[in-house]
Amino acid sequence: MRLPSLKGRRLFSAMLFAGAALIAGAVIGACTSDEDEQQAQATEQQQQQVMQQQQDQPQAQVSGEPRGDTVQLVKDRGVLKCGVKQTQPLFGFREPDGSVVGFDVDFCQAIAEAMEVDLELVDASDASTRFELLADGEIDVLIRTTTITASRDRELGVDFAQTTFYTGQGFAVHAGSGIESTADMGDKTICVQSGTTTEQNLADHFTDLGLSYTPLGGSDQETQDAFLAGRCDVWTADQSNLASRIGVLDNASEFVILGELISKEPLAPGVRDFDSEFKDVVNWVVHGLIAAEEMGITKANVAAMASNPPNTAVARLLGVSFEGGEVSTLGFDSVGAQFIQRAIAAVGNYGEIYENNVGDAVPRACSLNALASEDKSNCPPGTGGIQYALPYR
Amino acid sequence: MPSGEVPLFYRRGFRNVLQQAIYVAATAIIAWYVYTSLDLREFGFGFLSEPAGFAVGSQWLTEVDGVTNSRLTMYLVGVWSSIRAVLVAILLSTIVGVVVGVARLSSNFLVSKMAMLFVEIFRNTPLLVQVVLWYAILLVGAPIIQNVVNVGDFFFLSNRGIAIPWPVPSAGLWGVPDWFVGVWVIALIAAALVALRVRASRQERERETGQPHFANRYAFTIFAAAALISFLLLGVVVSIDRPILEGTQYAEGMVIKPEFAALVLGLTAYTGSFIAEIVRGSIQALPRGQTEAANAIGLSGYQRLSLIILPQALRQMIPSVTNQFLNVNKNSSLAYAVLYDDLFRVATVIQNKAGHALEMFFVIIVTYMIISFAISAVMNVLNARVTAHRL
Repeated sequence: MRLPSLKGRRLFSAMLFAGAALIAGAVIGACTSDEDEQQAQATEQQQQQVMQQQQDQPQAQVSGEPRGDTVQLVKDRGVLKCGVKQTQPLFGFREPDGSVVGFDVDFCQAIAEAMEVDLELVDASDASTRFELLADGEIDVLIRTTTITASRDRELGVDFAQTTFYTGQGFAVHAGSGIESTADMGDKTICVQSGTTTEQNLADHFTDLGLSYTPLGGSDQETQDAFLAGRCDVWTADQSNLASRIGVLDNASEFVILGELISKEPLAPGVRDFDSEFKDVVNWVVHGLIAAEEMGITKANVAAMASNPPNTAVARLLGVSFEGGEVSTLGFDSVGAQFIQRAIAAVGNYGEIYENNVGDAVPRACSLNALASEDKSNCPPGTGGIQYALPYR
Repeated sequence: MPSGEVPLFYRRGFRNVLQQAIYVAATAIIAWYVYTSLDLREFGFGFLSEPAGFAVGSQWLTEVDGVTNSRLTMYLVGVWSSIRAVLVAILLSTIVGVVVGVARLSSNFLVSKMAMLFVEIFRNTPLLVQVVLWYAILLVGAPIIQNVVNVGDFFFLSNRGIAIPWPVPSAGLWGVPDWFVGVWVIALIAAALVALRVRASRQERERETGQPHFANRYAFTIFAAAALISFLLLGVVVSIDRPILEGTQYAEGMVIKPEFAALVLGLTAYTGSFIAEIVRGSIQALPRGQTEAANAIGLSGYQRLSLIILPQALRQMIPSVTNQFLNVNKNSSLAYAVLYDDLFRVATVIQNKAGHALEMFFVIIVTYMIISFAISAVMNVLNARVTAHRL
């Protein structure tokens, strides 16, 4: 084709340029949106990307030298910077009034009180940068529904303290559907986030069961919409995710989250590698809160217990003298013997934190997060709590 | 510089060489860049033969299980889903397009304005918006399965989809063997050929004598009678399966799921509105004399349309309609927005798990091109046939 004039030719090249710009824009847009989705999903791929970045600069992240004493740093600063999610109801969520509340936030509060410092909540909602926030010192501790895995522990410059919440891939069904476990899900329609390990776990699990099912795949939000509209019988995702998304609905009682889990997702606080002083504090605050529940110490009675401890174990945990004897600090000199007592006084014991935040959405009885010492006689076979404080002595 | 001598940079020969050199260098750089980056990425299609590890929900006539089958097999399941949606959308949008296109030219005020409204609404809004809206209507507007709308146990409507009766081959009332189904299909084809032959000869006589010979009616009656007689003779080899509701699931029958329905509705309305304009344009492009002549020889309105106007108009519009059919193929990737497991959605899932985005997009592009070429080929054959038979 012969172009008619100079003007025509200019127009033609302008169009070419515009087309190229459009394509480039689309490519960039596609990459960005893909990344967003992955960030939201925190898929394996992306974790690998982060790991790759970490591996590229081992000196910066995983050096053998001590990286400084976070306990001292926090005490000098007078502020504990805690990285929490602000987008997940019940765990870490920004309320309309601007306050950030949730299960994870309570643990931040407990640690800050234990160290007698103020608490600053830092937004770590973005899954892809959460470990970098920690490595860069933007936060001192990361409590953000983060699963412990070996690769993260080894390669990300992060050290994990005691698990605060045990979860796994779970299932939500409509109330009154009669579905009580995956064994009842033969030929049912199941909403599942596509392109994730969730989808793969589901396929593997049903192959093991010898059952068929009809999946409906989509994004987190799409599968939620489809399930809530009644398009699917079952919705599968991390149980804590299901709980937090269903828990905030007005008609939450129309849905039931099953106790059954088909994968392991232990969520734990993360601290910087090579800082065992600080890790010990975080670790034993968590254990101390669990121990408090085991011993029946609550936010309400902690003061009375401290002034008149019923036994030596309670006295030791609260850092007070038993019948005029010596106070045992157990070497926690940097934070003081009474650090667990202060944590309990601020947020209550583990059971109270659980009930105050997620108890209504995820019944605790017989779940992994119940105390190992709970009465399991009413629990279905194979279920029951495993939360258990290591001995504080 | 002597006057009249052109500077080196403005000499045609030098310019030609320079342009060629820049072109070769740019090509070499791009080729080198592609080659090295592909090498770094371990370019290859081996990942497609690994187990898929995920299930695909919207399957028809196939039950392919992703745990045992390869990623390629699951991809082909997605391709089949795409082709199904495209074929149904092409068929429906053609019908809608012709009906609405003719209706727009109707002398009835209400009919023509309704047709115009249809065209203007669906032609002027983005297809993505339409598809998502259809899905939302089907998902939220339709009753949940517990409140399913049951029409005499023949049709069920809920947001799990629409279940309709569907013919399935069966052993038959008198225990006839399965291969009788094949016999029946052959009988039907034979009947269809006879009917077409009768139709052609009656049309021929109609042209020669000018008297109506009702070619279509005769042809249809012959086919229907042959189908019914052979059906009864051979025994009921095909039974109609009525849908059954088992708990919250449809069983038997044919289920049109909301994902599929939303995609096909969107494609049909959107493409139908464009085809309607093409039909209208083709009809209006015919000389007025054609209509006047038809009126002059006393043809009825329907005869004028079916014998004079449409046969001439339809053959003119085949090239434009082919473009619309190709658009249906390309737009079918909007299935992604309504959770329909078409080839693009399945490919995205594979990509999420296996990486290899470059290879996967290569496969996707080649697949869409193959489907487009197939549509073009069929339409070209059709075009050649109707233009060869020009009166």
